[in-house]
Amino acid sequence: MMLEVMNTLILKAVLAPLVLFPVAAAVLVFGLLLKGVDRIVVARLQRRVGPPLLQPFFDILKLMSKQSMVPIGAPRTLFLALPMIGACSMCLAIALVPIVGVYEPNGQFGDLIVLLYLLTVPAIVLMLAGSASGSTFGAIGFSREMSLMLAYEGPLLLVLISVAMKTGLAQGDLITFSLMDIVHYQQDNGSFLFDPWMWPAVLAYLSIIPANLGIPPFDIPEAESEVLEGPLCEYSGPALALFKIMSTMKTMVVLALGIVMFIPGNATGMMALIGFVFKCLILFLLTKSLLRASVGRMRIDQAFLFYFKWPELLGIVGLLLVVFKG
Amino acid sequence: MSFLSKVSVRSPWLYRINAGSCNGCDVELATTALIPRYDVERLGCQYCGTPKHADIVLITGPLTARIKDKVLQVYQEIPDPKVTIAVGICPISGGVFRDSYAIEGPIDKYIDVDVNIPGCPPRPQAILEGIAMAIEIWKQRL
Repeated sequence: MMLEVMNTLILKAVLAPLVLFPVAAAVLVFGLLLKGVDRIVVARLQRRVGPPLLQPFFDILKLMSKQSMVPIGAPRTLFLALPMIGACSMCLAIALVPIVGVYEPNGQFGDLIVLLYLLTVPAIVLMLAGSASGSTFGAIGFSREMSLMLAYEGPLLLVLISVAMKTGLAQGDLITFSLMDIVHYQQDNGSFLFDPWMWPAVLAYLSIIPANLGIPPFDIPEAESEVLEGPLCEYSGPALALFKIMSTMKTMVVLALGIVMFIPGNATGMMALIGFVFKCLILFLLTKSLLRASVGRMRIDQAFLFYFKWPELLGIVGLLLVVFKG
Repeated sequence: MSFLSKVSVRSPWLYRINAGSCNGCDVELATTALIPRYDVERLGCQYCGTPKHADIVLITGPLTARIKDKVLQVYQEIPDPKVTIAVGICPISGGVFRDSYAIEGPIDKYIDVDVNIPGCPPRPQAILEGIAMAIEIWKQRL
């Protein structure tokens, strides 16, 4: 009985902000649908039937109705607060990313720099969750998550600076961090995706997405067959559901950011929404489903070296091209 | 039956405990019943790595003396409500190891087993049917 009361409270605590901020709710629903599409696509690529489209919804609701356990020795408050911090940070982050023609954030609210900070919160939350759980597997997950983050943060920063400098130099400043400025510049002068000088940056961003979202071959911190899902090892019930919500929202933020930076488009209203859904789907299938169905998992040292060699190189080349070509 | 439990039935997550099995049943579970050809994912199942995430527990092996305490400890870590399946003849009766000094089984001396899947090892189709029966039992527990 106590358990049911507590779970209902957590459910309400999760639903309330989503009702208050409908864009986040809509994005969450869309993200979960995308995840369902991903699971079906992977199943079909492996020549099997696969789960129903709404399976991610079932999973989250199932977790909401289960028991939430805190391991002995773990700091209770921190342990239960971490998933909430993670989910909230991603709801905030999605509020900063424009969906061109549909949703335009207030520029006063935050820019690319705030977004960059918010994007690192889930990784930090996962790291803390791994170490707070007091489990050995959590600790291994912590160390792997940290190495991977060090590897992909560099190229991510280079890509964001390339895009910001490209827009800034064209507008007479050195650099601009306003996402709406970047969108408007591309609407006037053509998307960066069709500019060959920006292709290294596009490629670098594409190669960062799998590590950033924990998709094979870079799902090393949460490898369920070697470190028992790493940081999520000790989590169960509603707390785990919040982590699932966090990762879904992060997927959507990263996809939407990629679309804003490289191919925002000119459409408005209904056409813009359809365009957004279509672009998200293509980017998602390209960077998640096809990868997930076709490759195994890398070792952490291989992934670390890979990111230090290729995406870093692409990022630097992209930045130099922007600086010297303008 | 509330809305939450109606939905929950469609997302049972599986967890495997090896209680001293010869690995035959584990091979059937991991590489036969859970591979594309016999896809359990269509029932909404997902194979999870930690007992904390599990709903349906699949136990293989005759419960050897050395592993008994660990199995019971892992079993306790699985949050309620859960359903237990004994896979193979070993956890059900001891199989060829019956009356051996080295085993503590059968497993239902210590754990309430809901579904038995006999066989040495059981056929993948039998495992799938067992999982479907476990889901029916899980529906009543929610």
